[in-house]
Amino acid sequence: MGLTSRHASRFTPIDFVEDDTGIAARAQALIADLEPDRAQMLEALHRIQHELGYVPREAVPFLAAKFRTTPAMVWGTMSFYSEIRTRPPPKVEVQWCSGPACLLKGSRHIRLALEAELGCAMNESTPDGLLGLRLVQCDGTCHLAPLVRLDGRYIGPLTVTGAIELARRLKREARGG
Amino acid sequence: MSGPLEAYRRLQEAARPAWEAAVRPKRPLFRVAVATCTRAAGADATLKALREELSRRGAEADVLVVGCPGLCFADPVVDVHLPGLPRVLYGRVSAEQVPRLLDALLGEAKVLPELALGVVLYEEERLEGYRGTAVEGLPDLAQTDWMRLQVRRLMANVGHVGAEEVDHYIARGGYEGLARALTMTPEEVIQEVLQSGLWGRGGAAFPTGRKWDFLRQARGSPKYLICNADEGDPGAFVNRSLMEGDPHLIIEGMLIAAWATGASYGYIYIRDEYPLAVERMRRAVEQARERGLLGEDILGSGLSCDLEVVRGAGSYVCGEETGLISSLEDVRGMPKIRPPYPAQSGVFARPTNVNNVESYANVPLILRHGAAWYASVGSERNKGTKMFSLSGQVQRVGVLEVPLGTPARDVIMVAGGGPPQGRSLKGLQPGGPLSGVAPASRILAEDGLPLEPEPFRDIGMLLGAGGLVVLDDSCCVVDLAVYFQWFAEDESCGRCTTCFAGTRRLLEILQRIAQGRGRPEDLELMRLLPEAMRNANCAHGQAAPTIILSLLDLFPEELQAHVLDRRCPARACPGLVRYQVVAQDEALARAADICPTQAIVKDDGSYHIDQGRCIRCHACKEVAPQAIAVLDAFGD
Repeated sequence: MGLTSRHASRFTPIDFVEDDTGIAARAQALIADLEPDRAQMLEALHRIQHELGYVPREAVPFLAAKFRTTPAMVWGTMSFYSEIRTRPPPKVEVQWCSGPACLLKGSRHIRLALEAELGCAMNESTPDGLLGLRLVQCDGTCHLAPLVRLDGRYIGPLTVTGAIELARRLKREARGG
Repeated sequence: MSGPLEAYRRLQEAARPAWEAAVRPKRPLFRVAVATCTRAAGADATLKALREELSRRGAEADVLVVGCPGLCFADPVVDVHLPGLPRVLYGRVSAEQVPRLLDALLGEAKVLPELALGVVLYEEERLEGYRGTAVEGLPDLAQTDWMRLQVRRLMANVGHVGAEEVDHYIARGGYEGLARALTMTPEEVIQEVLQSGLWGRGGAAFPTGRKWDFLRQARGSPKYLICNADEGDPGAFVNRSLMEGDPHLIIEGMLIAAWATGASYGYIYIRDEYPLAVERMRRAVEQARERGLLGEDILGSGLSCDLEVVRGAGSYVCGEETGLISSLEDVRGMPKIRPPYPAQSGVFARPTNVNNVESYANVPLILRHGAAWYASVGSERNKGTKMFSLSGQVQRVGVLEVPLGTPARDVIMVAGGGPPQGRSLKGLQPGGPLSGVAPASRILAEDGLPLEPEPFRDIGMLLGAGGLVVLDDSCCVVDLAVYFQWFAEDESCGRCTTCFAGTRRLLEILQRIAQGRGRPEDLELMRLLPEAMRNANCAHGQAAPTIILSLLDLFPEELQAHVLDRRCPARACPGLVRYQVVAQDEALARAADICPTQAIVKDDGSYHIDQGRCIRCHACKEVAPQAIAVLDAFGD
């Protein structure tokens, strides 16, 4: 499609900044085939996150050059979407469904119990970075409400007791060695 | 016979053998529903177990992956077609059940009644003269409570055709609507869509044909189509079900729209939470390209159009059409100020039409069968069918398709089986966080609250895009309002102060009330803020206070109990309850053990709860229901 660039007016070339981790170089290779003004920035972010687990800040200058925009615009886009992570994920993450069917079946209690038992607030990780809690949106698996997701598996219908036992097991496995 | 139809017939002839094998199999055929919902319940394990067990037994059989037929309450489901026998749908077929199921099916019995949900008859079978229950003791699935209100037009293929089999779709008459449209002028196509009465299924209910006409008349090129598959309303999963079960229906609808409007490129924007829908739609787009149904000179008509699937990244306001357009433009997905409307200046500042998944999916049926056929079901004012997802405090959770105007009462009480045993109906939240809550008294009124826009508008609510969340009497509407307002605040894009500050203020007021610190003047403030929020740019800010108005107007006693008496009648708001030991029994030792904050302490041989430590997580009540009581936090 021969599209004119909407972003041409604010196009500022940015030199690719070499970082000591080499992360940006890896990210660069992943998105070599993508183009600006083709609705492909989200695809770029997804690919990088799929490979690295998150989109590191080091990728911002490169993404800005790639999509012919400014680092601020890229950062603005990245930070707008709740599923784009800008920090590395914890080793084990309990994903708590925030949907209404789960709420009606007691998910608020499960959240309180998980936060207390794991010792971290929602969308945060324990100080050692091993365990984390993340709020996720409803994906229509409401027949299992209330549920949490763990490593792609759905656990539900869950009781508060079941949630506490799950958290204790995860703590043992993560730290007990 | 004109060109496109001839080209289509050739395509259909080529597709027929594949479908024959699926509809009149020569050996056992297992249709395994693999969708997000069935997967969550273990469908991948079922599929694996089935394949392994069949090969271990050396059984001659086929396995076909299909979409979810909508009976989520019975997931994982497997539809079994033994040659010469009617098809039977089995529910709760976990991997462990597979050997038992195969013992029965491949042995003498040919049926396993304990897991059978009913006999499945699709139109092919019905036309061939099957009537009633051909397998003894099993009901006709279509006559069961879940199915009998339903008219499955959009879902006619879901669970029936292979989810990744384009030939099945074509052999069943898919893309015929497109071929017919290509023999008509764009104006005639728009006229047909207008006559059908189809309006946008995404929530705004604007006539689809008129929207298309705006784009047709717009100047500028290229013109774009967007399919809004950012089904962000929590509790709504009808679009997902359709994309995972019959993706070509949506592609065909978009192609007809392309012909009618002059658009040459389309984006299908799917929310991040639906990775399987992204996968299935992408595969379907590739298959359509392979068959020459996308690309240059489609079916020899001169129409050239291509489509692309874009995966969102987690933002509710990207379901608002201009927010979605921003998202495609690689910037923050913030809704834009209108005018200009997308038909004048949409994505990349080009003329654009945005429709919901279900709106596009209706169009092939209209073009194939005609506007009159389409309008033959529905109510006086609203024609056609609508898909709904039913969830919450209801016995059967799943996806259904009913004529517009079907009473919500019947969908909840008959199809859904009503609230869980021992509970009574309290209300219905029909269309996402912005739609409000209808009280039971309205649902159980004489007309049963017809599922169409007008009756909901009359009580200050929105019908929305199809998520029906049922509430029973254990639910607290204030607690629910806290959730919806949190959601609205969290997802506000930040453009309008009326929205981002308005939702924040409302959330603060509600949270205060839910913690027993409500003030009488809060009730007035809650009326004042929605007035200001009407001035927000997009529907997000304008409709965010709908739930507040539901509280004030439809559940006034419950709200007043929270504010004036500092009491939660349902004892659900954590700030308004306390947990107390009311009897000493052996279950308390276990309660003390499970308590995540060690709030249950033993003094002089008896247990009590340290209120300073208790976080009201309810775990102790689960393990020691007799010994622990949930009491009002304030008062005796």
